[in-house]
Amino acid sequence: MDFYFGLIQLIGVHTLLGLSAYIVLLTGQVTLAQAAFYAIGAYVSGMLTVLAGWHIVPALGVGALAGAVAACAVGFPALRVKGLMLVIATLAFGEGVRIFFFNFDYQIAKGDIKVGPLGGEGFRQIRFFPENGWTTLEVMLFIWAFVIAVMALLWWFDRSRYGAVLRAVGEDEVAAQSVGVNLTAVKVSAMTVGGAIAGIAGSLYAHYTTHIEHSNFNVLVATFAIAYPIVGGLQSVFGTLAAVIFVQGFLIEGLRGLGDWRNLLFGALIVLAMNLRPQGIFWRRGA
Amino acid sequence: MLDFVQAVSDGVLFGATYALIGIGFTLVFGVMHKINMAYAAASIGAAYAGLLLLQVMAGAPPWAVFACAFLAGGLLGWLVYLACFHFIPLSHPLATLMSTVGMLLLIDEVVVHATDGMPQSYPAMFDDVMLHAGEFTLRGDLLLVFGVCVVAMACLLALLYRTRLGLATRAVSQQPVAAQLCGIQVARVNAMTFVVTGLLGGLAGAMIGASVGTLSPLLSGPLTVKGLIVTVIGGLGSIPGAIVAGLLVGGFENVFQLYRGVTERDLYVMLLLFVFLVFRPGGIFAARAGRD
Amino acid sequence: MKKLALAVALAFAAGGALAQEKTVRISGFGAKTGPVRSFGINSEAAMQAAADVINKGGGVKLADGSKAKIVVDFYDDACNAEQGISVIRRIAGTDALVAIGPTCSNVAEPLFGILQKKVDDKTDTGLQFPVFTDVAIKVGLAKISEWAFRNVPNEMTMYSSLFYWLRQKYPDLKTVWGGVEEDFAHSRATWHVVMKDRANANNFQVLGESKWLLADTNFATQVREMKKANADIIAISAHPFSMCGALKEMQRQGVKPKVLVGLTSSSSLETLQGCAKQAQGMIIPTSFAPVTKEAKFAAEQTAKYKGAADLHSMAAWENMFILKQVMESEKISGDKSQVQADRRKIRDGLAKLKVTKGLLGDTKRTDDREADKPYLFVQAKGSEWVVLHNPL
Repeated sequence: MDFYFGLIQLIGVHTLLGLSAYIVLLTGQVTLAQAAFYAIGAYVSGMLTVLAGWHIVPALGVGALAGAVAACAVGFPALRVKGLMLVIATLAFGEGVRIFFFNFDYQIAKGDIKVGPLGGEGFRQIRFFPENGWTTLEVMLFIWAFVIAVMALLWWFDRSRYGAVLRAVGEDEVAAQSVGVNLTAVKVSAMTVGGAIAGIAGSLYAHYTTHIEHSNFNVLVATFAIAYPIVGGLQSVFGTLAAVIFVQGFLIEGLRGLGDWRNLLFGALIVLAMNLRPQGIFWRRGA
Repeated sequence: MLDFVQAVSDGVLFGATYALIGIGFTLVFGVMHKINMAYAAASIGAAYAGLLLLQVMAGAPPWAVFACAFLAGGLLGWLVYLACFHFIPLSHPLATLMSTVGMLLLIDEVVVHATDGMPQSYPAMFDDVMLHAGEFTLRGDLLLVFGVCVVAMACLLALLYRTRLGLATRAVSQQPVAAQLCGIQVARVNAMTFVVTGLLGGLAGAMIGASVGTLSPLLSGPLTVKGLIVTVIGGLGSIPGAIVAGLLVGGFENVFQLYRGVTERDLYVMLLLFVFLVFRPGGIFAARAGRD
Repeated sequence: MKKLALAVALAFAAGGALAQEKTVRISGFGAKTGPVRSFGINSEAAMQAAADVINKGGGVKLADGSKAKIVVDFYDDACNAEQGISVIRRIAGTDALVAIGPTCSNVAEPLFGILQKKVDDKTDTGLQFPVFTDVAIKVGLAKISEWAFRNVPNEMTMYSSLFYWLRQKYPDLKTVWGGVEEDFAHSRATWHVVMKDRANANNFQVLGESKWLLADTNFATQVREMKKANADIIAISAHPFSMCGALKEMQRQGVKPKVLVGLTSSSSLETLQGCAKQAQGMIIPTSFAPVTKEAKFAAEQTAKYKGAADLHSMAAWENMFILKQVMESEKISGDKSQVQADRRKIRDGLAKLKVTKGLLGDTKRTDDREADKPYLFVQAKGSEWVVLHNPL
């Protein structure tokens, strides 16, 4: 059972990562920076629980806030670049953050050992969950409480004026502007919300793997973050969830029986999925 | 001072390899307004394919291996076109982006499976030639790569501006609908663009393999990132821009490394990109705005 | 003739009917996809080969006196931390009694982190499953959990011995320059913590080091530094790809140190595939070479399963035999309903060990669950790693 709880934990964290990109993709901005906010959330909350002895919930809150602040700071200059240039600019930002953490040392002594991030060696022993007696099931429920809350929030956005405005900006910026939509407010707010969600995801990631290092936040992770909503379809939040289950549940864990073929099929199936359903898994005709 | 000049020259010469990759990215963008994320991986894959020649003819000369990589690149380019661009409707740019990512993962994994992940020694030409001017040295093989780069640019520009295919390509990139009305087969032109960039990519992969001396699947990731940065700095769609930007990034990267060390080097390359994005978002040679 | 055949057939039938086939599962895991795929392939082959040998000899003796056959399976973690954690949870959910792995240190560290830190700590909900590592070599990982054990070489001991030996053999060599792969925890730690320290301790003067990254392609600046320093010994703490790049640049710029030292895990086929010519003469301390009867046998058996025998895969082989010994001495039940109790017995048994049998000789086990393996020095000659000095 532990294995299934662990898998569901993983699906939960990846769904949050995907949702952080989902909301930004709605506004037409393709961002490869979500892994950076993920990293910021992970390191910040890890340092708070390990170095400062905080409880996970406030640490998570600060992680989300850190992600949001960083995203807001990125959101403004991102307005100046469009389309594929934004992809590359956010990619570069993401790599920049990763390299920052590669060089980041902050250790304090706890007893006779030193704890904290140590540059290239990473940040080890983020053991809030096992040290405080959380079972795998409890961690899973904790993670999913956030996933459900975020999905509900985004689902509500989709049904409210804000969601319509987001999608309007994504469809056609000029038309949206012409009906009085404030492009800056919309795009930056979407980016900020995305950053906060990524910060939460990162904080949870740090605590359930107990060890983070710069290579956990590389271009591949950033690509997965946008892959989930694209493969799942931008029509609905459930698309992202479906895509995460497809990738992590089916392609990665489910295909284990195929041995060596698993990784070969991974790329091939993604290509196939995009050819067969370019609009995403979850797509209602005429919607 | 000499250290600085040497670092610049080492970096600029190596930057020729980035320029070759940048040209490929920028050409696809210029014609189809899409990024082919699998380009660097396909180039490295083509370089590996070149090594297959050595399996068949053990003593084959290096230039034959390069030629094999060149041709393999064209084939791979066409396959990438088919898998990612031919069937997916143009109205779904995100889907094409994601499918090229899928191709990147697939090509990398095929290479890893074929070689069990082990680095493969790559034949080189002039790799033992070092030109000396006192303390200052220049690598002979990188001068060759540089030369190849210049020739490639010339051939490409000749292709674009002196041939019917080039005319059709430019027409499709500027006004796809009008081009179709003139009887140009857009799908054919797009496929040819991929084959041409694939050929170039195969050559680039072989040059990179030769200048590094060893091929490894580890190469495709950083090359993709650098190639994209070079494309943006040079101006999306501009071939001379990609060349200049490639050399620029190569040079700056080495200088950053000289002064700030290898762990911070890439951070400064990103900052260089941001400086360009802020002050010259169109890139060095911003493509002239089309009619719409 | 017919009577003999009948007798043999009856004997088989009787044997088959009497002995219900008992099995004991040992799971392996490591990288079978990605750039380090060869490690997983070799470890799996070594495990299968060892199981085969053990089973042909009757298998493992259980507490009730019966024998059980060892069953081996192997999972791919793609050198990815999340997959590694998922895999160990999956293994813990089967009837496997112990796992051998992982390949990558960046998987081992988080994986050990989710294990229970101290046995019998009821407030710690970490996973209670013994892991016996064959490959992941980054220094000091077994300390993380009392369920984690490793059978990997101790680089401090080996490089200490190597620099001592170099000091004795080449009394007129004075200076050392390093080449370090900075973004890989293992290679970085080995230079800064081990090589530099041990060189200094043996009266060599470390003039400095050149740094690069794992996937770097341009080593001109670094090699220029090496040339200027003109050290007698150059020690490169890097994995085959970047090491080959640096060596090729050294050849180009005419940098020829009197002695070339390499990183333990680079004493493998990968280096020779990538740059045999440039690596000629490189000296590396390693914990495996087919110099003893047992070592040769292990290599042959592993080759039957299409795996190469090197210090990594042969640790997996050794682990299998150590586990057999522990299972028998701790009297595991082999009963599928007592899996957790058996796992605890294996853990306790591994913790008790002071000495284990290795392919090159006896291996000491340390208090923090690491190994102090016998080693020798190999040198790249032609297209092989040849034994240069055998301190055993």
